[in-house]
Amino acid sequence: MTQGNIYLDFNATTPVHAQVQARLLEWVSFWGNPSSIHRDGRHPKKLLRESRRTLAQALNCHPLELVFTSCGSEANNLAIKGCLSALKEKNSLRNRVLLGAIEHPSVLKQEKELRLQGFEVIKIPVNREGQYNLDFFKKHLDDKVGLVSVMLANNEVGVIAPVHEMVQMTHQAGGYFHSDLVQALGKMPFALKELDVDLASFSSHKVYALKGAGLLYSKKGTPLNSILQGGAQERGRRAGTENLLAIASFAHMVQHFQEHPLGSSLASLRDHMEKQIENKVSGVQFLCRKQERLPNTSSFFISGVSGESLLMNLDIRGFSVGTGAACSSGNPEPSPVLLAMGLSHAEAQSSLRVSLGASTTSEQIDLFVNNLSEVVTHLRELDKVEMSYGQ
Amino acid sequence: MDNNKSKGRVLVAMSGGVDSSVAAALLVEQGYEVIGVTMQVWDYSQCNIEEGTGTCCSSEDVDDARDVADRLNIPFYVLNCEDEFKEKVIDPFVNSYMSGKTPLPCVNCNTYLKFDHLIKKMHELSCDYLATGHYATLQKNDKDQWGIVTSHDSWKDQTYFLFTLDPELIPKLLFPVGEMTKSQVRDYAEQNNLTVARKKDSVGICFVDKAGYGEFIKDNYNHLTAKKGLMRRYPDGEVLREHQGIHYFTYGQRKGLGISAECPLYVLKVDPETYDVWVGEEQHLYSEEMIIDDCHWLEEIQGGEDYQVKIRYSHQGAMAQIERLDNGQLKVRFAQKQRAVTPGQAAVFYKENRLLGGGWIR
Repeated sequence: MTQGNIYLDFNATTPVHAQVQARLLEWVSFWGNPSSIHRDGRHPKKLLRESRRTLAQALNCHPLELVFTSCGSEANNLAIKGCLSALKEKNSLRNRVLLGAIEHPSVLKQEKELRLQGFEVIKIPVNREGQYNLDFFKKHLDDKVGLVSVMLANNEVGVIAPVHEMVQMTHQAGGYFHSDLVQALGKMPFALKELDVDLASFSSHKVYALKGAGLLYSKKGTPLNSILQGGAQERGRRAGTENLLAIASFAHMVQHFQEHPLGSSLASLRDHMEKQIENKVSGVQFLCRKQERLPNTSSFFISGVSGESLLMNLDIRGFSVGTGAACSSGNPEPSPVLLAMGLSHAEAQSSLRVSLGASTTSEQIDLFVNNLSEVVTHLRELDKVEMSYGQ
Repeated sequence: MDNNKSKGRVLVAMSGGVDSSVAAALLVEQGYEVIGVTMQVWDYSQCNIEEGTGTCCSSEDVDDARDVADRLNIPFYVLNCEDEFKEKVIDPFVNSYMSGKTPLPCVNCNTYLKFDHLIKKMHELSCDYLATGHYATLQKNDKDQWGIVTSHDSWKDQTYFLFTLDPELIPKLLFPVGEMTKSQVRDYAEQNNLTVARKKDSVGICFVDKAGYGEFIKDNYNHLTAKKGLMRRYPDGEVLREHQGIHYFTYGQRKGLGISAECPLYVLKVDPETYDVWVGEEQHLYSEEMIIDDCHWLEEIQGGEDYQVKIRYSHQGAMAQIERLDNGQLKVRFAQKQRAVTPGQAAVFYKENRLLGGGWIR
C-alpha cells in the first residue's frame, strides 16, 4: 500500500548517520565510567574530553563552557532554572523573565513553576509572520530583567529571530540571554561569539547523531546552578553519569557538518516544493515564507482540510510529515506556536510541517507533492458530499 | 494505493480491549487491509482511574491497542475526541442525572463517536468498511435487506447499544467477533499472542471511577450539585432525612440511602424540581407499562403486535405489545409486570433476535 517510506520530518528527529553507525562498536567498547580513577575509566574520560573539545572547537567556545545533559529539553530547563536560581542568590531584584511566545514546550511550560518561585514571567508576542514585537520587548527591558529566552530558529515554522539584536538590548539592560539553538545547529550558520548569547542549548539527535545527549553552552561568568543533585560531573553543573555513546556521536556529527554544511541545496529543494504545492493545491497558505527561515522547513495550512486527516492519509501512503510538535502527535491539539502567531484554531488544526534533510531528493519531493494533492482532492470531495447531505 | 491485493480496506475501532483487538486480528487474517484507530475520549490524567505508565500522551488502553496494532503490523492512530465526547456523551449524561433519570451514556458514545465520527474517518482514509468489536451479527432479511441480529454469545450480546444506528450504514459495517463467544475470543487472542488476551472486561461507565457517578458529577460539575433535598417515604410522604444532592440517587437503588427501615426500601422517584428523593417498598418498583420517546427504527414495526423488549442492557427481555401514540411516543404494555423500568434507560425491541430499534424510557 505504500511507495516505500519517505521521511520528511527531520525537525522531529534525524536518522543516525552512516559514519556514526560505523563507529558505534568502537565507542561501545569504552564502557567504563568516565568519572572512575582506575584504568577502565581512562578511555571513556578521554573520549568525553575529546568530544567536548571537538564541540568547543566547532562552536568556537572554551570546552569548560559546555555542559552535557540528556537532551535539548534538559538543556533548556538547566539554562532557565539554573541561571535564575543562581541569579536569585546574587540579586533578588532581577526577578523578571521574558520568554519568546513561540518557544519549545520545554521553555514555555516552565512558566508555571517560575511563577510559583516568585518570578514575573512575560511572553514576548509575535505577529502572524512569527516576527517579534521589539517595541514590546524594549518596554519590558529594565533593571528588573534577569533572563531572556528566545530561540534562534523555530522548530515548527523555521522562522529566525533577531537574536543578536535582542541580546544587545538585553545586555544593555543588564540581563542574561538564553537561546535554544537546537534547530539552528547543522541547518544554518551562526557564531556563538557574534550572537553574544550567555546560554545556548543543543541536541544530538537533530544532527544525525544518537538520541540521548543535549548540550548547554554557558558563557564563562554566567550564573548557573545545577538543577539535579548528585555527583560532581560537568564541574558540578549537571549530576549523573554522561551518555558517552550519544556524546561521542554528537561531537562527530557537529564536526562533520562544520566541514560539510547542508544549507543552500535544501533551501532550493524546499522552495521548489513550495512552488509545486502552490501550483497543484488550492487554498494553501505558507507560514513565514517571506521571513528569514530555516532552509529545510516548510509550514503551511490548507484551508478546510484537517491536518490530522492529512497526516494519516499521507502516512498510509508512506510519507512521514509533521503537524505541531512531535510529542503532541499522540493527541493532536492545535499547536500552541501557531496559536501564538495569531492563527485560528481551524487554521492551526489544518497545518502541516514538512522538514527536509540530508537524504531528501527532488524525486521524493515530486512524489510527495503529487500524493498531497491527491489526498487534498479526496478530502475536499468528501466535504462536498457531506455538505450536500446537509442541504 | 494498491487495494487489489486485499478484500478492501477496513478502519477498525480499537479500544485496547480483547474484543476489538481480536476483531482487528481476524480482519488481517481474512485478507483485509486494516487500519486501527483509538478514540481518546477523556483526559485520564485528571481522574483517579487506574492507569499504567503509558508514554507521553496516552492511557494504558491506548498503549494496549498500539501493542496489538504493532503485533499485527498495521497502521494505528489516536484520534482526539475529547471535546466531542464531552459535548455528546458526558454533558447529556450529567444533565440526565440532574433531571432525575438514570442515563445510558454508552448509546450516545456508540451513536456519535463509534459510528458518526468513525464513519467520517472511514471515508477520509478511503476505507471500504468500518469494523468494531461489538458482539452483534449482520444478516439479510427475507426482503434482502441488511439488518442487525443478536450475537452468538447471548450473554455478551451488545445489539442493545446499537438501536440508534443509521440503517443505511449497515452494509459498511463489520462485526468480526459477533459470531464468536467471549471464550472463543479470548482463546483466539491467546493463540495469536495478543497481550490483551486475559485483560478484564470493562464494566460500568468508562469515565467514572470507583468513587461512583455521584462523586464524578460533584467533582466535574460542581455548580450543578450544591443543592440538598429531602428523602420521603412513598406513599405517605414522611420525611426520613435530608440528603446531599439528587445526583447521589438513582431509580431502584437500595444501598447507600442512609436510613434503616423494617423492610428494604428502594428509590422510586428522583424529583429534579423539588429535590425530593422518594423511597418505598419493592412492590412499587413493578410496572405494567411504560412510555418511550425519541424512537429510532432500523426495521418496520407494527402497532398491536407482540415484540420482545429489553429495558436495560442486562435485562433478559420481556414480551410486550406496543401502541404508537400521536405525539411520536410509544406506549409499551408488558405481558408480565417488569421490575425497575428506569427512566433514562433504553427500551430496545427485537423480533426473533433481529434488532428492530428502540427509544428512551420516560
